[in-house]
Amino acid sequence: MLPRRIPALTLSAALVTVTLAGCGSGADRHSTDALTVGLVAEPATLDFSTTDGAAIPQALLGNVYEGLVRIDQQGRIQPGLAKSYDRSADGRTYIFHLRNNVKFTNGKAFTADDAVFSINRVRTVWKLKIAQQMDDVRSATKVDADTVKVTLKRPSNNWLYSMTTRVGAMYSRDGVSDLKEHPVGTGPFEVASWQRGDNLVLKRNTGYWGARPALDTVTLKYFKDSGALNNAMLAGDINVLGAVQAPETLSMFKDKSRFQVIDGSSTAEVVLSMNNSRKPFQDKRVRQAVRYAIDHEALLKTTRAGRGTLIGSQESPSDPWYAGASNRYPYDPAKAKRLLKEAGAEGTSIRMRIPNLPYAVSAAQVVQDQLAQVGLKVRIEPLEFPARWLSEVFDKADYDMSIIAQVEPRDQWIFADPHYYFRYDNPTYAQLLQKADAGSPQEAAADYRQALKLLSQDAAADWLYLMPNLMVADKSLRGLPVNQVGEGLEFAGVRWSGK
Amino acid sequence: MNHVVRRTATLLVSVVVASFVVFAFLAVLPGNAAEVALGTNATPAAVARLSREFGTDRPLLVQYADWAQGLLHGDFGTSYVTHEAIGPRIADRFAVTAWLVAGGMLVALLLALPAGVLAAAWHRTGRGALLSGLSQVGIAVPAFLAGILLVYTFAVRAGALPAGGYTPLTEDAQDWARHLVLPWVSLGLVQGAVLTRYVRSALLSVQRQDFMRTARAKGVRRWAALCRHGLPNAAIPVVTVLGLQLSNLLVGAIVVEHVFVIPGLGDLLLRGVQDRDLLLVQGVVVVLVVAVLVLNLVTDLLYRVLDPRLRSR
Amino acid sequence: MRSRATLLTGCLIVALVLAVAAVSMVWTPYDPNHVDAARQLAGAGGEHLLGTDQFGRDVASRLMVGARITVFAGVVAVGIALLAGVPMGVVAGMTGGWLSAVIMRVSDFLLAFPALLLAIMLAAVYGSGTLTAMVAIGIASAPGFARVSRAATLRVMTAEYIDAARLAKRGRVAIALRHVLPNIADIVIVQASVSFSTAILAEAALSYLGLGTTPPTPSWGRMLQESQDLLFSTPQLSLWPGLAVAATVLGLNLLGDGLRDRVDPALEGVR
Repeated sequence: MLPRRIPALTLSAALVTVTLAGCGSGADRHSTDALTVGLVAEPATLDFSTTDGAAIPQALLGNVYEGLVRIDQQGRIQPGLAKSYDRSADGRTYIFHLRNNVKFTNGKAFTADDAVFSINRVRTVWKLKIAQQMDDVRSATKVDADTVKVTLKRPSNNWLYSMTTRVGAMYSRDGVSDLKEHPVGTGPFEVASWQRGDNLVLKRNTGYWGARPALDTVTLKYFKDSGALNNAMLAGDINVLGAVQAPETLSMFKDKSRFQVIDGSSTAEVVLSMNNSRKPFQDKRVRQAVRYAIDHEALLKTTRAGRGTLIGSQESPSDPWYAGASNRYPYDPAKAKRLLKEAGAEGTSIRMRIPNLPYAVSAAQVVQDQLAQVGLKVRIEPLEFPARWLSEVFDKADYDMSIIAQVEPRDQWIFADPHYYFRYDNPTYAQLLQKADAGSPQEAAADYRQALKLLSQDAAADWLYLMPNLMVADKSLRGLPVNQVGEGLEFAGVRWSGK
Repeated sequence: MNHVVRRTATLLVSVVVASFVVFAFLAVLPGNAAEVALGTNATPAAVARLSREFGTDRPLLVQYADWAQGLLHGDFGTSYVTHEAIGPRIADRFAVTAWLVAGGMLVALLLALPAGVLAAAWHRTGRGALLSGLSQVGIAVPAFLAGILLVYTFAVRAGALPAGGYTPLTEDAQDWARHLVLPWVSLGLVQGAVLTRYVRSALLSVQRQDFMRTARAKGVRRWAALCRHGLPNAAIPVVTVLGLQLSNLLVGAIVVEHVFVIPGLGDLLLRGVQDRDLLLVQGVVVVLVVAVLVLNLVTDLLYRVLDPRLRSR
Repeated sequence: MRSRATLLTGCLIVALVLAVAAVSMVWTPYDPNHVDAARQLAGAGGEHLLGTDQFGRDVASRLMVGARITVFAGVVAVGIALLAGVPMGVVAGMTGGWLSAVIMRVSDFLLAFPALLLAIMLAAVYGSGTLTAMVAIGIASAPGFARVSRAATLRVMTAEYIDAARLAKRGRVAIALRHVLPNIADIVIVQASVSFSTAILAEAALSYLGLGTTPPTPSWGRMLQESQDLLFSTPQLSLWPGLAVAATVLGLNLLGDGLRDRVDPALEGVR
């Protein structure tokens, strides 16, 4: 029925703060083959096949694990462990031609058997809902040692795309006994040590098949507080601070002789959700009123120091069908008031139950004030994220309004599922997405564009902004991924310049 | 001796009651543990299976008995969220917090003993009033605020010390100390200010006693008399306060760990709350409460050792 | 002499906080929650007395409302502690025997739950909020009141007027209300001022941890939390709420000390 790709709602703070750091302190005291990367949310385990959370693929995908295909900085699908692939005319069959010089870090060669094993493993072992992305697979078979054939139940563009995410990670048949602590992959790095609550150290995989990474070790250091991160950066304890949580703090890093600011795009749409199944948001006019009532420029300026992209639907610049500003609503409080009056919703009390994440708490305060100006009374209720927010808002949809960053790439399907917490039920939208999934890539783009326009006109939600992928780095670092396009934060191309 | 036995028995009863209170209290926490553990992507079947696995589908009392029995063996259970044993995690974190608290106490003592002696020696003088005033201000500044100010001054402005984080002592002792200096001072300042006032007033009341008058009559200088004869005698009330302060420091550490991003018990507790990691929160709270109870007991016993008049009772 | 100065200073500061809190109920220079993108991070002086925060909100107005939250937090916590603790202490002091022992055991037991810990537990169960936090602080502060009022009651019970009242066949409740309570009131008031400052500190700490007052309500602890990221570029945003917390606590402590010196001069200087 629906597009079956069910990506995780990995909206955590994980993506939101990344820090790279040299060891020791002071910009000049780093070693040229080591990098320390600080993040906010740490992985609960090192196994993303049984544990949810964006932090695990962020640390491991593209570094420790690789897939048959991967996503590049422009959001295009590129060869990975498969040097090429063929898609049959009907879109139901994929033949992957594997590289034959690939070894796992346990010493075993990567073969078609491992690829088949990994694809099947998703369907048998994975406990998470994202495993449903592999439900479209009818069979995965070995043609010869270097060739794998995957047959789908129906043609699907999304399936190939999902192979670039964590469900497409390739495992060794002999290396899955202790994935929670000791992951075994083919990537440029392997896990050297893991000190829970503090850091995860990756070291260069000496037997890597691809280009030799410039760095010998990458230490992912997990912080709890963005203030401490900023201070650590300033104090010279760390060399790079990525995806800054509070962009207004960027003014601290004005010193061009020490820092560079990297401002790329992400796939994290910050969505102001409105419960479509509840009063007053059952009424399309009220939802539209909310969109007109919010001054998005002011919101971006006050909560993100103007960093980020204003969007008007569930899309990001790395999507091939990105329509830019055309889906946005202009700021028009008078029109908002009129719509509210027509709908008889003036003075309605609204419960905004948000995750207690800094960006959501900031945005909520601005939304609250702007909606107050047009006569909606919003009460903000921060819930612990992930646990309480997930159970109250995401699972039970017990909310009127909420704010969360939907960080998954290509997650348009979330509005096609009437049970998703938006409770948006529009069969036309769902059909358009389904058509897009099955058609040729060109047809798909046109269908997506139409679907996203419909979503915007219907005001299924309001899109506050697209998160920037904001990093501060030591000025002599090169090769950091500028755009956040996939699930992993990759270090294979990172190097120190001139030192 | 009798007293020691009675107090210890009380302690044991308190520990049992406390553990039950904590358990019952948190058992009503909203959010199914299995659901939470599996996250967004859980299927209902998986949730049901995991609930059985966790045993959270059993009656409350059975769950408590099970948990309490584990505690007796130092087994705090396995986290619903991270699927790892909680006991070792708490032990690791406890060590960090213990260093933090011990250092904070030391700073408080180093601050309070001289300041208290001086304040007593300068009693009824302008300088004495100034010291008292300063200690009043010190008491009024919450530890986390002191922490923020210290970070601003020494980490952000001067760049002399790290703003946060932690290095284990076994890895690099110097780095360990560098990371803990500011937290120690933030904790120590406030408690030191409180302690100063106790030292001062204890000394003042000692001063009125005969042996002090005798010493002074023999020509011993005032502050020397205070240090030699006054301090040992002032120890009794000060020790009592120290016991209470250690409990305060333990709790104050929760906030200070947050300011300085130190992976101690407080950080673990807040993380547990954030993640709805029920067993973890239970475990940390019980450890903290038991620590407070034990500290109270030790203080009480020490008090008796120091004060011979109470020993015979 | 010094004790009077202490008392006076304390009174002045506390009165100021109360006055600001009262005024904030009817008037603030600006809407404390109004976001204005055109006036972000304005400096002090000028149109905004203490400047604006990153949302363009008027800091002075927010501080004023913060005073109200602070007073509210203190009143709730102390109120609960008072209502629970004083009867416990009076009953224990008047009856003695096993009842007294039980009450004091319960109170000792409660003392093992530090206020902040209890508040974090409550916040975990019921979600964060000023009221939740203050109920926890109130419960945790009750044993202090029980201890103090028991000690005071024991002293009062030896007084002649109690014997007289007993001889007059007055009931226990009547004695408690007419003779004990009025005579321990002064000590209870001292305890209340100490508890008040504890409650304020706890509220600030909890809000700072994100477990107290919910946004956009400007509690001083929340203001400190929100401004921490800006410590480098605009440190004054942390300065004002920090100063407000410290000054209020100082005021209450001075007030408490001054009162104590009056009530029981032997305890001068002891907190």
